[in-house]
Amino acid sequence: MNFSIPKETYAGIIPEIVFGKGKKAYFGGQSALPFHFFEGHFPHKPLIAFEIQDQIPEDYPEELAKTYSSVWDDTLRWARFCESLGAQAIALRLTSTHPDSRDSKPEEAADKVKKLLSEIDLPLIILGSNHTEKDADVLPIVADASRGYNCIIGKAQEGNYKTVVASAMAGGHFLIAMSDLDVNLAKQLNILITQMGFPREKIIIDPMCSALGYGFEYTYSVMERIRIAGILQGDSMLCLPMVADVGFYVWKTKETQASESDIPEWGSLHERALMWEAVTACSFLLSGADLLIMRHPEAVKIVNRFMNDLFS
Amino acid sequence: MALTGIEIFKLLPKTNCKKCGFPTCLAFAMKVAQGQVDIEQCPEISEEIKAKLKEASTPPIRGFFFGSSSTKIKIGEELVLFRHEKKFFNPTVLAFEIKDTDSNIDLLIDEVLNSSIERVGQTLKIDAIFLKNQSGKVDIFLQALDKILDKAPDLPLIFGTLKPDVAVAAVEKTKDIRPILSEANSENINEMAEIAKKYNIPLVVRDKGIEKVMALLETARSKGIQDLIIDTKPETAKEILINNTLIRRAALKKGMKVLGYPIITFANRDDDFYETIIASLAVLKYSSIVVLSSIPKWKNLVLFTLRQNIYSDPQVPMQVKQGIYKVGEPDGNSPLMITTNFALTYFLVKGEIENSKIPTWLAIMDCDGLSVLTAWAAGKFSASKIAEFIKESGIEERLNHRELIIPGYVAMLKAAIEDKLQGWKVIVGTKEASGIPAFLKNYMKSKALV
Amino acid sequence: MLIIGERLSVISKKVREAILKKDKAPIQDIAIEQWKAGAHMIEANIGPAEDDGERLMEWMVTTIQEVVPLPVSLDTTNPRAMEAGLKVHNNQWGKPLINSTSLDPERFIMFELAAKYNVPIIALTVGKGGLPRDAEERVEIALQLMEKAAEFGVSLEDIYLDPLVLQISTSQEQAKEVLRAIKLFQDLNDPPMKTIVGLSNISNGCPKHLRPIINKYFLALLMHEGLTAAIANPSEIIEVVKTINVIKGKTLYAHSYLEI
Repeated sequence: MNFSIPKETYAGIIPEIVFGKGKKAYFGGQSALPFHFFEGHFPHKPLIAFEIQDQIPEDYPEELAKTYSSVWDDTLRWARFCESLGAQAIALRLTSTHPDSRDSKPEEAADKVKKLLSEIDLPLIILGSNHTEKDADVLPIVADASRGYNCIIGKAQEGNYKTVVASAMAGGHFLIAMSDLDVNLAKQLNILITQMGFPREKIIIDPMCSALGYGFEYTYSVMERIRIAGILQGDSMLCLPMVADVGFYVWKTKETQASESDIPEWGSLHERALMWEAVTACSFLLSGADLLIMRHPEAVKIVNRFMNDLFS
Repeated sequence: MALTGIEIFKLLPKTNCKKCGFPTCLAFAMKVAQGQVDIEQCPEISEEIKAKLKEASTPPIRGFFFGSSSTKIKIGEELVLFRHEKKFFNPTVLAFEIKDTDSNIDLLIDEVLNSSIERVGQTLKIDAIFLKNQSGKVDIFLQALDKILDKAPDLPLIFGTLKPDVAVAAVEKTKDIRPILSEANSENINEMAEIAKKYNIPLVVRDKGIEKVMALLETARSKGIQDLIIDTKPETAKEILINNTLIRRAALKKGMKVLGYPIITFANRDDDFYETIIASLAVLKYSSIVVLSSIPKWKNLVLFTLRQNIYSDPQVPMQVKQGIYKVGEPDGNSPLMITTNFALTYFLVKGEIENSKIPTWLAIMDCDGLSVLTAWAAGKFSASKIAEFIKESGIEERLNHRELIIPGYVAMLKAAIEDKLQGWKVIVGTKEASGIPAFLKNYMKSKALV
Repeated sequence: MLIIGERLSVISKKVREAILKKDKAPIQDIAIEQWKAGAHMIEANIGPAEDDGERLMEWMVTTIQEVVPLPVSLDTTNPRAMEAGLKVHNNQWGKPLINSTSLDPERFIMFELAAKYNVPIIALTVGKGGLPRDAEERVEIALQLMEKAAEFGVSLEDIYLDPLVLQISTSQEQAKEVLRAIKLFQDLNDPPMKTIVGLSNISNGCPKHLRPIINKYFLALLMHEGLTAAIANPSEIIEVVKTINVIKGKTLYAHSYLEI
């Protein structure tokens, strides 16, 4: 029988992101809903960045410690280790700057970033500690220290976007703009950011991630709504790539930590924990994420296999 | 699918003639929709309108049940491509494949029967067994079937066989549990359709790609089979995503009745990790049945949670169970905070307490899933209800202090709560969750000073 | 269209403080302002008022009616407070309005009060738990509310169906469902059912400068669909009400129509 494919008419194209200095990484550039190859053009696969931190992590559960504890006391060694695992990009989270952590100085963070950039050839995503006020102190110094390296920095939020946007602009970086699980707030923040003169094509939306079982469906639907508004309805403030900061949310959950002896009906911890990250990540690819920030190398492998399968 | 009152109303003459005994056409239509009144009571209704009503009342994707009267599961009848547009209605059935040649069938059945897990107030489990006729023989298939019927007489079943004689023999034994017959292909469609028709059971129709499967679906439809299930034999994740999307889109947006049926996906893959991913894709992207080759507990937990999340109603606020939750490892000196059971409120508050790194008791009160201010306005987050909840929760015995932190939005309740909770001091917290880390830190500092 | 002045609400800090101190002056000032601005009725929203709700409602009603010759719309979830308000209300200027009942069984007692005191009542089209998702659900609930009203002996002419206006900033798609519901509600009875909205909720959570703009345009659309009553800020909407009445031919045009 004859089946004529019911196609959608699109009104926008997601800007293509090319970041990094030596080695570059790519994502975005597509012209249809996620993996709808039959009605659009997909120049790049989504990108996975390996998360590292600027200190020994305070809350990595056992499953992550097994992988990283031999390298995590040295940011550079940790990054090289990720490179050896096949990382195409690194996401450095400056957790030590958080006032409740070491409250380390912006200059110290900037030194770490500089060192990393001079020694490692991979594209870098630089994330603050997710403390709105402290990030406003740290990110400008860090953005300046990495000037010319064409990084992604974040996250700009309602409470600190003015400083963070100005510093990303001065440093020539891409910017992650995060709002609280709300399509209207995401649009509003992007309007404010572009009104400051920051180029729209350099914004990456973070609609606020969540883990499977813990608000997952909110993130999933907000991502779908952002992508539909952007690419189908042509809302330019939402027609932008999206990031899912998966590892940060997944590895806080009980499912990645409770042992089988504690909760027998949950089954084996190792498989459960890494699949919690892999399934959360794969789901958000389907709802529109173009950039994933992840932690467990096995989970990354599985997500890569899924992407290759989708692009087969 | 029944039409809504308003859809029926649109087809009525809208004269408000009152001959039906109702004051208006809409009031009458609403009653017809509820099945309390017959449409024939409208004297103006023509044959043409009746035909239109029938056409309009056919759902774009057919829905039907399988399983026994006590275990029946509904599949299909989905109305949207994206859950925010309304919701996804009938959750994906997770079926475990057992081969009739498996040597440990009893153990495998036990795995299904012991698969249930409690999560957010729901019991989640593997719903059905897909019994595969690996042997190709009738007697071996029936032996395996007997074992299942022995242990689980009314568990919903899907029979996987290409042989009409096997199908007949199995279906004869399971007339009371309306099994699904899988599968009809281009070779056996006539015989299989015959059986599905005779026993009135759902039939899986399988061929490579949408066009080929459409031809088979046409054949089955022409034989009068209504309860059909589609399998386009996708091999890659790409094929699953695209075929499922196009089928649902064609049924919903183009009204293509021939594709308006539920989809089955065989997730079986070479490794458990990847099988879980493929099953997740199928759950998220429109499959009504997913067949799994193994069901270890960790995998079930992942898939159950995903299915529960994605089939939740975006309009009904997700609710958290009432109770006192631990964030971190709080002790008798840790702070006690209270908020409502709107899931988003809970996740945000819990997340911010975690960020503060201060172990805290979090009291979650049942307010029908409303947010703080709405719950207060509706009288559900009131001083007396809060006081009653705190008293009955037993938290008093676990604390060395008597201080309750309430959300900033209900600061006005402070005095009233203190009135009703003798010996307690009420502290007004922040309005927004984002202020919690700073608030908690100051709070702990001030307590240390005292 | 019936204008009910919304400003005497416990949500407002100024009002809350005046209530706490039992300070009549600010309450009466606001009541008078609303009356002068064109209100036909004054809303007294005292919230859940669990403690001493009776005295509070009595005080509010008498305080308002001391200075304005208007009926009062009584807004509380506390049935004892509601009844106290109904008892003390001066019906010389019109009947009071009960705000409100819904399909939540806890609120059915408000129907009883409406029947007992023979006064009109607002029926919110919400069930127990969960907000209505579209116009269809609102109409279904409305019909059930109408049946409930009959059970309690409240006449349909005394019911104001309220579709529940939600915030545009968080529930954008609901605004057009409310418009559809206002139209459909009227079709549920002949003569048409009365309808009412709490108008300003549409702009709740929006920046201050946007609120009057959104409220006014929304009201114009609602009036076009046949809205009977609005709980709103009279000075904000009076121009819209008068102008739409002229456009729809309900009042005769004159150059100075806004001034009368």
